[in-house]
Order: sequence, then structure tokens, then C-alpha cells
Amino acid sequence: MGDKTCVSFTLNGEPRSLELEPRWTLLHVLREVYNLTGTKFGCGTNDCGSCKVLIDDNPVNSCVYPAKKLEGKRVLTIEGISSDKRYMHIPQAFVNAHAVQCGFCTPGMVITALGLLLEDPDPDETKIRSYFTGNLCRCTGYVNIVEAVNLAAGRSTHG
Amino acid sequence: MDNQYISVGTREVNSDSSMKSVGAACYIDDIRLPRMLHCAILFSPHAHARIKHIDTSKAEALDGVRGVIHCFNTPRNLYNSAMRFYTDTSPSDMPKTEMIFDPVVKFVGDRVAAVAAESEDIARKALSYIEVAYEELDAVTTLEHAMQEHSPQANPAGIDGTNVCGAAVAYGSGSEQEVLLEVSQSPVRLTSKFRTSRVHHAYLEPVCHIASYTPDGHLAIWTSGQNVFCFRDVLSEALGIPQNRIRLIKTTCGGAFGGKLEVMHEPVAALLSKATGRPVKLRLNRREVFSSTRCRHEALITIQSGVHADGTLAAQHVHSALNTGAYATSGPNTAGAQSGKTFVMYRAKHMFYNGTPYYTNTPIAGAMRGYGCPQLMVSREAHLDRIARALSMDPVEFRLKNALEPYAENCMGKPMHNARLIQCIKEGAERFEWKRRREEARTGQGTKARGIGMGAAAHGAGWYPVYQDMTSVTMMMNNDGSLQLLTGIHDLGTGAKTVLAQIAKEVLTVPLDLIQVIEADTAVAPLDLGAQASRSTYIGGNCVKECAEELKRQLTKEATGLLEQEESELSVKGMHVHCTKTGRSVSFADIVDSAQKGTLGPQRQIGAFRSFCSREAVYSYSAVFADVEVDTDSGEVEVKEMLSVHNSGTVINPALAEGQVHGGVHMGLGYALSEDMMIDEQTGKVENPTFKKYRLFRSHEMPRIHVHFLEEPEESGPYGAKSIGECATDGVAGAIVNAVSHALGGADIDRIPMTPEYLKSLIRR
Ligand code: FES
Ligand code: FES
Repeated sequence: MGDKTCVSFTLNGEPRSLELEPRWTLLHVLREVYNLTGTKFGCGTNDCGSCKVLIDDNPVNSCVYPAKKLEGKRVLTIEGISSDKRYMHIPQAFVNAHAVQCGFCTPGMVITALGLLLEDPDPDETKIRSYFTGNLCRCTGYVNIVEAVNLAAGRSTHG
Repeated sequence: MDNQYISVGTREVNSDSSMKSVGAACYIDDIRLPRMLHCAILFSPHAHARIKHIDTSKAEALDGVRGVIHCFNTPRNLYNSAMRFYTDTSPSDMPKTEMIFDPVVKFVGDRVAAVAAESEDIARKALSYIEVAYEELDAVTTLEHAMQEHSPQANPAGIDGTNVCGAAVAYGSGSEQEVLLEVSQSPVRLTSKFRTSRVHHAYLEPVCHIASYTPDGHLAIWTSGQNVFCFRDVLSEALGIPQNRIRLIKTTCGGAFGGKLEVMHEPVAALLSKATGRPVKLRLNRREVFSSTRCRHEALITIQSGVHADGTLAAQHVHSALNTGAYATSGPNTAGAQSGKTFVMYRAKHMFYNGTPYYTNTPIAGAMRGYGCPQLMVSREAHLDRIARALSMDPVEFRLKNALEPYAENCMGKPMHNARLIQCIKEGAERFEWKRRREEARTGQGTKARGIGMGAAAHGAGWYPVYQDMTSVTMMMNNDGSLQLLTGIHDLGTGAKTVLAQIAKEVLTVPLDLIQVIEADTAVAPLDLGAQASRSTYIGGNCVKECAEELKRQLTKEATGLLEQEESELSVKGMHVHCTKTGRSVSFADIVDSAQKGTLGPQRQIGAFRSFCSREAVYSYSAVFADVEVDTDSGEVEVKEMLSVHNSGTVINPALAEGQVHGGVHMGLGYALSEDMMIDEQTGKVENPTFKKYRLFRSHEMPRIHVHFLEEPEESGPYGAKSIGECATDGVAGAIVNAVSHALGGADIDRIPMTPEYLKSLIRR
């Protein structure tokens, strides 16, 4: 296993230094090293968005993100969102909009919603739908997920 | 709806969603047990081969490997992973064809060996060190090949040297000859052949299990499966461990849709745990999920109908061939379920169903949302539109003329209960402005052709009449008046737990946040038959209602002593028993306290246990409407807008029910247009085992979806409820096929998915 690399980055606001094996993905680091299991493994091939985290405010699929590229980066996971007063309304919007069924896609969806709202606080439906194109959900038909993002943006389309 | 209820009809939030939305819910892969090992399975690269020899010495020598198992060192007890009732009820229906490791592998993806190691990486690496000598056998990789008279056998369990799995399911209103004769003597006759593809459930949570075998001979298994009691029974049989020593615990489930109804690789994890003396986790990767779990039966369906000149259906014959893959599992039952739905929608006097599952050397088909129904519905709804076209009738008018009336008898002489198919179609046509849209669609422009179509569907609410359906519930009141509700019903994310709690609240007035629902743990919960057959609300709800009523009787009885009043003067309100005459009341907490202290008799607990058995064949109905645009150059279909109208009886929770429909539409759209597990005919390999190549609808491709419920109560349902889970998807593909056909000027579509290539070839024709 020899050639270990060391990276320093922030994880949910905390500075971290980590010695890692070159093959490790960020998802592996989150789930297996830090036991942050809110980030999910859905496919491992960059196709489903269950493993989304924010890196420097951009949604990224952590299952294909090499951990060695973490140097100097700011990583925010679902655990970070739920303990941050600025962002807690987003998971709550998913609950209120009935956007959670099996919930396996939900952490990735919440992360993506935050990524979108940081970029555009008032996205229209077309924008929301195209922004979420990398996030698969098998349960909701995305209907209430779009509604949750609307709610999180301070709007309700269902009245 | 009027306000007669305090809880039924309210839009309660799905339980666990606040945990799920912050990533705090614990799915199996999130569980870490002390000293836990990781497992990986070696899957067969051959479609059909005999394993002559396995050398595991190199794998075992690898640092960190703790155990290797395969067909030469494990028990070879036969089982059926889809067994779902008392184990031996109907062996002929459910052939036992599976072993944990079979020395003859029967599809690419069949289990060959498994490794437990200190990490998943090591376990996977060890797989490549296992040396297997195979003797390849003739393989049958297509349904057509399997059906041919002299084709090789994909599985030796095939009947009389053929590939027929179990027996054909064949019955109807009269003999097959009679029905065919009625068809042939009708003035208008039409035959349609239709192919439906093999699709995958594509739940987002990959299959994952943990097994822990302890030195006292007890086995605990964590699974996100849908039927823990039958898993326990199958494992007991496969491993030779008594049922009391096996505990199956359902964890939070990351989606299932039938795909986790059958025993999957739990026995492998169990054997490795037993062999190593340590807990073992197995998690498949997505490729493995596609090849080595379950999928929907591919089907070839031929429908012949005879119709009177006025558009009345006289007779109908349905012939269905289902591809069950390498093992029997659900095959015969799927044909059985399909047969039942043949007779419960339309009024033809003479009907016959003849369906057969066939073995092939391809991935195992099994239970999937709809369970035989989507195949039949899409084929028949397309067929009905063809008839309407042949008669120059409007498809809505044609269906209205032929749909079964509420409380009618169908051609089998069975009562139809409050079947509101006609109302679904009528209301849907009005709400969707069917006539206006159909007119408008005629005036398409350029290469964009617009089409409007509809499809209908029916689905049961529980197992009956296939089996009698039953479940049990235990409810105990805590000292503070809050409730424990123990049920074997499995919540797969659908909100079943929430619905059951709402029903308990309706009876007992206890708010949802004071009801703890404990589900599906064989050591704790009472018996249940699993999350299947759209049964959770109807069967589970009826049982919870009866159990809650029993609890209410106990509370009221105790209160008669405390309030010194007759039972008839008492009612329950806001967690108190009230006396209307005196205005006095006593809280549930005080009643429980009194019972436990023995104030009025022997000390006792306020608690109830109830079994509920259904002997009613009840069906839910839907009518689905679609507005689509077909690009006649590219063959691409854009689905613009849909309406799904449902007769599910009373809706206990509209938000959850709508959610079921949204998801059902998503699954149905993929079925109609994009999803197809493609199997290479030469090798038997799944060609597209990734979400890149297996195409689920994504957020930007979804249409606007409207949902409407006709709340016509069903007398035998809890507060009038029926079912929704499967009916939500059954009718979708038919609507899309008919809309696309309409866009293409009435083209005869004969398969799904309608890929752009297929539609281009159809347009050229
Ligand atoms: S798990 Fe990373 S994209 Fe699916
Ligand atoms: S809620 Fe189940 S996958 Fe989205």
C-alpha cells in the first residue's frame, strides 16, 4: 500500500488533515474514514447523484472525485447542511413538500438544491429541472423535489 | 371530502422524512458492526456451464481473506427465493429450483463463489484469484428460442424436457375452444401481438445485507427486503437452521418496488458469517445489481378479440409468454397474477387467459411493481385502441362502452365491488379535455406530431383470491397514553407506517408523534406476508383498525369503572374517554395507570393483538391520459402533460398517494419509452448495466403530471380505502403507446420501449 499522500482540507467547516491511499475516492473518505454515512453510494459511476457533496460551493459526485485532489478544498456534506442554521430550511423544505419517499436520493438532492440556490437564489422551474438532471430519483417522479426547491427558494407553486 | 374524520384524508408527512432529509436515517450500508467483514461474490461469466473444479487456495492465501465458499463446501438444499406464504402451500406453483451455490450456473451473473475479507477491496481482489474450471453448456438466451420445441433446456426443472416453468396458467369464462370460437364468429375480429421489455426496478439503494451468526447458533440478518418472515422461512430451509434462531430485521429501505421481495444474497452472507464467526456485510455494486438481482418479466402477448359492429366486445383471448430467466422464483405466480387482471376491467362475456413462464439463461425475473400487470395492460390497451380505430370509434367512447360497471358480475361470475373504472375514464376525459386536445392534435406542424392517448388499468388490494391474505398487529399503550404499534407490514419509503398510524389515530385520537410504529422484525413484530400486492393499506389498515378498536374497547371498559357510567355513554376524544351525560372525562394515561394498579380488577396491561384475514377480491382502477409530441425525423418523443385518475377508494393520505402516482408515472414512462435491459444473444450478458446506458427518466424529461382521486369508498376497506402502489404504474405505458400511435396517424405499435430507432422504422414503414 506504500505510497500514501497527505491532504489538508475543510470538512463541514472543520480543518482536516488526512493520510490517504491514492485510489481512495472522496465518497470512501467520507463514509469509511469519517463515518459520515449521510452521503450515499448509489452507482459509483457518476450517474445518479446520490453521493453529491459541495466542493467550494459546487455540487460534485464524490464517488468519482479522487481524494488526493482535496488539498485546500472546502467540502460540505449533508451532515454539514443539517447543522448549519443558514441551510437547515432546505432539508425542511424537502420534508414539507413531501419530497422524501425512500429517501436514498434525498441527501444528494438537498446538496444539489443548496448548490443551485447559492448560484441562483430564484431559479425558475426549467432551471431547477435542468440543474437536477444528474440526480436520479426512482420514487417521486421529481414532482415534489422541484416543489421542495421552490419552497426552499421561498415560493410555493401549489399555494 | 367532508370533515367526518380527524386523521383519514390528512396530508401527514412521511414518517422518517426528517431523518432522511438530513442524512441521519440508517440504511444497511450505514450500519457498522464490531469486527465486521466484507463480502464479495464471484458471478458466472457464462450463460450456462457446469463447474468442474474450483481452486480457492490463492484467494485464501491473500492477506485479509477470512473465508471462501462455493458449491463444493456449502449445503445444496433447494429453495424458491420468491416463496411468500406458508412455506409449502403450493409446491407446484412455486418450483424449488435455486441453491445457494449451484454446481451448474445458469446465467451470466449466477453465483459461483464468495469471499469474506477485512475490506471490500480485499474481498473483490480475492475474487480474481479464484480459479474455476467450467464446462460450457448450450445456452438459451432469448424467449423465442426457449419456446421452440427442440430448444435446449435452460434449466432442467423445465416441464417434460421443455423450458416451461411450472405449469401453464389457463382458464376463463368457458373452455379455450369455446372462447376462441366466440372470437372467430364475431363480426369484427382483431389479433395483436405485443412485446414488452425486461426492465429493472432501479431502486437507488443497491442490494445490501448484513449477517451475523453467533456462537449460540443464532443468525441475525439485516436486509432492506420486503418480506422478512418468508426470508426467515426460506433461510431456515436453505441453511437448515430452525426458524426461532433466525432473526430478520428490515432496515430503512432505499427503494424496492418488488425488487427486494425475493431472497437475494442473504444466504451467502449468512454462510460466510457462520464460516468466519464474524458479522459479514455484502453490498453489490450497480453492475451487479443489474445482472444479479431481479427484473421484470419480458413478455410476448397475443390478444384476439371479437367485437360486435356496434363496438361491444364479445370475446377476448389473451396468450402470454413470460421470460422468467434462469430460475423459477415468481414466474408461475406472475402468470397467475396476470391472469386475474384479464377479467376485471372489460365486459366481454367470453374471456380466456393462457400464460406460461419460460426458463432462459438470462438474469432472473421476479416481482416488480405491477407483477405481470403492466405487460398485460400495455398490450391490451394498445389492442383496444386498434379495435377502436378499426371501428372508427373514439377510444374513450369505446372503453366506456365496454368497461365493467360497479357491482356488476364479471365474465367469471365474480362480484366487482365498487369498481369505478367507468368513472375514472369519464372524469379523466373531462378534466383532460380529451375532445379538445384530440381535435387540436390533428393540426400538427412540420416534423412535430402531437398525439393524445389514454390507457386504463386495474390492480388488486392484497393477495386474495390467489391466497387468503392475512396480517397481524399488536398495539400497546404506554403509561403516558402514547402507543406502540407493532406490525409486520414493511414500509419501503411509500409511507405505509404513516398510513397505519393515521388509521390508529382515527380510532384512538392519539397524535402521530405519540405513535411508535415498529415494523418488520421477525423477533418482535407479528406475522405478515410482506410489502407486495398493494396490500399494506387495505390489509394492514384493516388490521390496525380492528386492533385499535379492540384497544379502545379496553380503554372504555376500564373507564366505565372510573367514571361510573355505562359504556354506551362513553366516547373517545383527544386521548380521553368522555362521558357525554356528565361531561366528566378521564385521560388515557390515568386509565392505563388504573389498569396497571389493578384499581378495578386484576392488574393488567392495556394492549391488543389482532389478526386480520381478507376474503375479498377488491380492485383499484386508473385511467391515464397523455399528451405527447413525436419528432418524426428523430423518432424522439416528448411527453408534455399527463393526467392519472384513480379509484383507490378513500385516500387515507393524499400527499403520500399522489407521491405513489408520481413515482408510478416515472416508472411507466421509462417502461414505455426508454428502459430496456438488453441481453447479448451470443453471451447472455446484460449489455447496459449502468445508469449511463440504462435510461431512467431524468428531471428535465418529465412531463407535467396531474393526479386526481375519485374517493368512492370501498365497503370492505379501512375507512373505505383500497390500494395505490401498483395501480400507479400499471396504466401509464398504455397511455403513452396510444398517444404516440395517435401522433403517428394510428400506427400499430407492437412493442415497448418505443425507442427513437423503433419509431423511425415505424414511420418509414
Ligand atoms: S454514487 Fe456517485 S453518482 Fe451515483
Ligand atoms: S425518494 Fe427514493 S430515490 Fe428519491
